[in-house]
Amino acid sequence: MSAHPRAAVRPAPPVLEVRGLVKAYPGVRALDGVDLQVRRNEVLGLAGENGAGKSTLLKALVGLVRPDAGEIRVRGERVRLRSVQDAADHGIGMVFQEQSLVGNLTAAENIVLGSEGPGVRHGFYRWATMRRLAQEQLDKIGSTIDPLARTDSLTFAERQMVEIAKVLRIEQRTHDTPVVILDEPTSVLEPGEIETLFEQVRRLREFASVVFVSHRLDEVLDVCDRVYVLRGGRAVGEIRPAEAEPGRLHRMMIGSTAAEDHYHGGAATPVPPTREPLLTVRGLTGTTFRDVDLDVRAGEIVAVVGVHGSGREELCRALFGAVATSAGEVLLDGRKLALTGPRAACAAGVGYVPAERKIEGMVGPMSVADNMTLAKQGVRCAGPVVVPRRQAAVVDRWISRLSIRTPGRRTAIGRLSGGNQQKVVLARWLVGGDVRLLLLDHPTRGLDVGARSEVYRLMRELAGNGVATLLLADSLEEAIGMADRVVVMSDGRVTTEVPCPAGGKPSPLDLVKEMV
Amino acid sequence: MSTPAAGTAEPSGSAAVAAGPTATERLTSLMPVLALAVLVVALAAVDPDFLRRSSLMAVVDAAAPLAVLAAGATLVVLCGGIDLSIAALASLSSVLLALWLPGLDALAWPAVVAAAAVAGALQGAAHVFLRIPSFIVTLGGMSIFSSIALVVSGAATVPVDDDTSIRWGFTRVLGSVPSAAVVAVAVVAALALLVTLTPLDSAIKATGYSEAAARLAGVPVDLVKVGAFAVSGACAGLAAVLLVARTFSGGPTLADSLLLPAVAAIVVGGTAITGGHGGVWRTLVGALVVTLLRVGLSTVGVSAAYESILYGAIIVVAVALTLDRSKVLVVK
Repeated sequence: MSAHPRAAVRPAPPVLEVRGLVKAYPGVRALDGVDLQVRRNEVLGLAGENGAGKSTLLKALVGLVRPDAGEIRVRGERVRLRSVQDAADHGIGMVFQEQSLVGNLTAAENIVLGSEGPGVRHGFYRWATMRRLAQEQLDKIGSTIDPLARTDSLTFAERQMVEIAKVLRIEQRTHDTPVVILDEPTSVLEPGEIETLFEQVRRLREFASVVFVSHRLDEVLDVCDRVYVLRGGRAVGEIRPAEAEPGRLHRMMIGSTAAEDHYHGGAATPVPPTREPLLTVRGLTGTTFRDVDLDVRAGEIVAVVGVHGSGREELCRALFGAVATSAGEVLLDGRKLALTGPRAACAAGVGYVPAERKIEGMVGPMSVADNMTLAKQGVRCAGPVVVPRRQAAVVDRWISRLSIRTPGRRTAIGRLSGGNQQKVVLARWLVGGDVRLLLLDHPTRGLDVGARSEVYRLMRELAGNGVATLLLADSLEEAIGMADRVVVMSDGRVTTEVPCPAGGKPSPLDLVKEMV
Repeated sequence: MSTPAAGTAEPSGSAAVAAGPTATERLTSLMPVLALAVLVVALAAVDPDFLRRSSLMAVVDAAAPLAVLAAGATLVVLCGGIDLSIAALASLSSVLLALWLPGLDALAWPAVVAAAAVAGALQGAAHVFLRIPSFIVTLGGMSIFSSIALVVSGAATVPVDDDTSIRWGFTRVLGSVPSAAVVAVAVVAALALLVTLTPLDSAIKATGYSEAAARLAGVPVDLVKVGAFAVSGACAGLAAVLLVARTFSGGPTLADSLLLPAVAAIVVGGTAITGGHGGVWRTLVGALVVTLLRVGLSTVGVSAAYESILYGAIIVVAVALTLDRSKVLVVK
């Protein structure tokens, strides 16, 4: 094009632009008209709570989700992305939260997998060429990883570097600034590794645009040039880290009205420290945790926090009898709890809400009613025989008590929104009226703000009724907000305990110091 | 093409969620019954004699051993597994029955059914406790049962001289109703009642749909699975009793050809091969459809040699129609 005087002044279109993107799932509007722009060679942060629409937005950007309305423009041109390949052809690539490398291939093979180019001729691999191509990619990001190492022999952080090297192969397709999306890249990294990743991100900015997604405020403020805050499926604000203070960003993320009493602290009933513990764990040892001592009193909410590999998830499952233990004992109300399996735990009045709701928490095609009575069949039976009327009565009562939004008790649970599904899974342990201890593994994962608030309220109510709760929270803020006491685990051991009374809550930073 | 803004967006909120099954789902669910009706009408059109009482009774009589055999295996499929050993176990049971009748007399058939149940339970235990896929365990079981049958029978048909104690398996009741059909309906009814009247219903479904979730809800998954295999074995034994009663002999390969029709009966009935969805009554309808197809082929003059093509094809087609592939991430 001939140089028009004004063309030089007008800024180039953003590399990637999203306008009014909408995506609805039954019961929830994951994206509610999102607008955002990614400029050349910038690091753009996306911050938002779980359920704010971050992952749906990312999936739309790499062609895994088709938006219902709105448009995506790449370098000013409107595109429809139908697959990850499609997105790569437009120069958009993503490093997935759950890594997408093939473990039994070498780093080099993984890097060129799917974009072999000159690495394949006449249908045959040219190993030397492939290795060279992979080495080029690794050099580009300044990595010293051996391209011939088997991927599953690398550490998590190293595999992440391999993924970044792999994603950068999309440069070959567009010969233009690629957009690299990093989805929660720090969630399972150690602090030292996080610093290395940040250096990498700053290096990437030299030749790529980076979209950096995280629900941790300190990170996005540290590494990004600009930050969009997402809430309830919309971009509610744009912030330059230089002028932002975390408090304001945080209020933006959870919404000012919700922030006032997001965790229903006012409904918390203080538990006298003199009360005898309901759950007593002594010297419990399993494959990933050792010598764990833990007490939870009736009516108390105890949060266990720790980084990836702290062993807290396994501990939680072990208390339910779902994974084996090798030593130690567990007392429930002074009586020994046999850790022989979930059945024994259920019978003793222990309830467990797993983190993977869709896989482990609920039976998707089964009805709300059958899901709710799955663990406590007694409530719908007279002797050994099922009485449908009893089930209907019990289930309808809990549907209204927990305000579960469902067309009816016969609706398949898979059709409800995440929050309502989770309420049914929680109700499963309540219908029997005999629950003493609740083990909640990330009970609010993937829920929108409103649904989370309702789960918090329910937890408060149960605690008020004397149920002991062990919580593995989704975030430190949640742990601090909900818990009466926070137990810190590191490397499979309980390292310290921090009291968390209303009015005397510790700051997340205090806890982070204890965690590493 | 441009996308109209917001116009294509789905309405959010619970209004978009249907209360029960949708119309399409109801129709899919009724498909086996419709198929049965269409087959009856078609056969009657080709051969008006088909609607005579005696021909209809011949069909239900022929379908009975198949229905009994497939009814038990349906429970295994509902739990998310498969039992490929049923036909071989039925053959073995027929040999054992013929061998035990002279000595045990009236106790022979209960003994055979019990032995077959134990054989099934053993397979279930191997599947559950050694964590071997049911497909492999029962493929091995199939081979083992076949071989045992050949060994104990001396690779020959074992004739039955005195069939008094099992004559109930091949007679007529209420005039012209084949007793085998009554047995089949009774077995299906008993299993269906057992399942629907007790919490087994949701235990089996939860196991089949999502074993991990069922386990974490305290469902005795292992027990349910072993039980399903035991019932499957017992049904194979009972099917053998019906077969021996009508052939007056046991044979080491007597029931072997029933494996494919039995699997066909289960999937044609609308029980999902992936587990969870389906029911025992559906298998009764499936057994009738499969039998009618076979009868129909001979009515229109197709050689019996083509039968296996039919079974192979209907299994594939039935699974293709019933499997919700959007929910299955990886097909192995």
